[in-house]
Amino acid sequence: MSAEAGALDVERVDFISVPVTDMERSARFYGETLGLPEIEHPEQGFPEYQLGENVSLYLLKVESIGRSFEGPHTASLALRVRDVAAAQKELEEKGVVFDFGAEPFDTGVCHMALFRDPDGNQLMLHRRYAPRD
Amino acid sequence: MRIEQVDFVSVPTRDVSRAVAWYHQALGLPVSEVAPGEVETPNVTLSFWNPERDGEPFQANAAGIALRVPDVAGAVEEARAAGAEVFGIEDTGVCRMGFVKDPDGNVLILHRRYAPRG
Repeated sequence: MSAEAGALDVERVDFISVPVTDMERSARFYGETLGLPEIEHPEQGFPEYQLGENVSLYLLKVESIGRSFEGPHTASLALRVRDVAAAQKELEEKGVVFDFGAEPFDTGVCHMALFRDPDGNQLMLHRRYAPRD
Repeated sequence: MRIEQVDFVSVPTRDVSRAVAWYHQALGLPVSEVAPGEVETPNVTLSFWNPERDGEPFQANAAGIALRVPDVAGAVEEARAAGAEVFGIEDTGVCRMGFVKDPDGNVLILHRRYAPRG
């Protein structure tokens, strides 16, 4: 079969998935600790959460699609929050451990604070404060 | 704490310029005009990152980013022709998914939901 032109035109990112090993533990983390709203679709077995206004996150138990857990995502998902330091403090009070100590990292254009989900998938609280040129 | 949006998704690579070129040429995603090493989808920025430059081991993403395409079967063939490894195509009953790997081995899901949302 020959591909029709434009078959691969990317319209949007529908979701981002992260691999998890214990669905209940991960659902508690994303739904309760991070407080993400769950998107209801009872026909599918995997929880999906709205990540702010632009995209959603699927928790994927890789064994259920016949593959094995090969390790977490090591590259961050950057989650925009209003105040990185305040959000970090709020999550620390819920037991989340951040990678680089108590203060968010200041890159000169943004604040970032790195943390991980229970399987080690890398997440980031992020806020750009410098205007785009 | 309220998460407003995803600002970017980092994609690990061993060669940032190769990755930018592939996502631009194979997937047609525009190269960012504001930041090096990034491409734009209509709703999320993909930001390439070489962990080995920061002294960390490279590890490809095994669970994928789902890209909405008009025609999954056609998109899989286009991706294969552009050098992607294709390792599965599935119909879940509500959507079609083509599983491919980018040149670094990161999983991408060429995705199209055809069932209406309940």
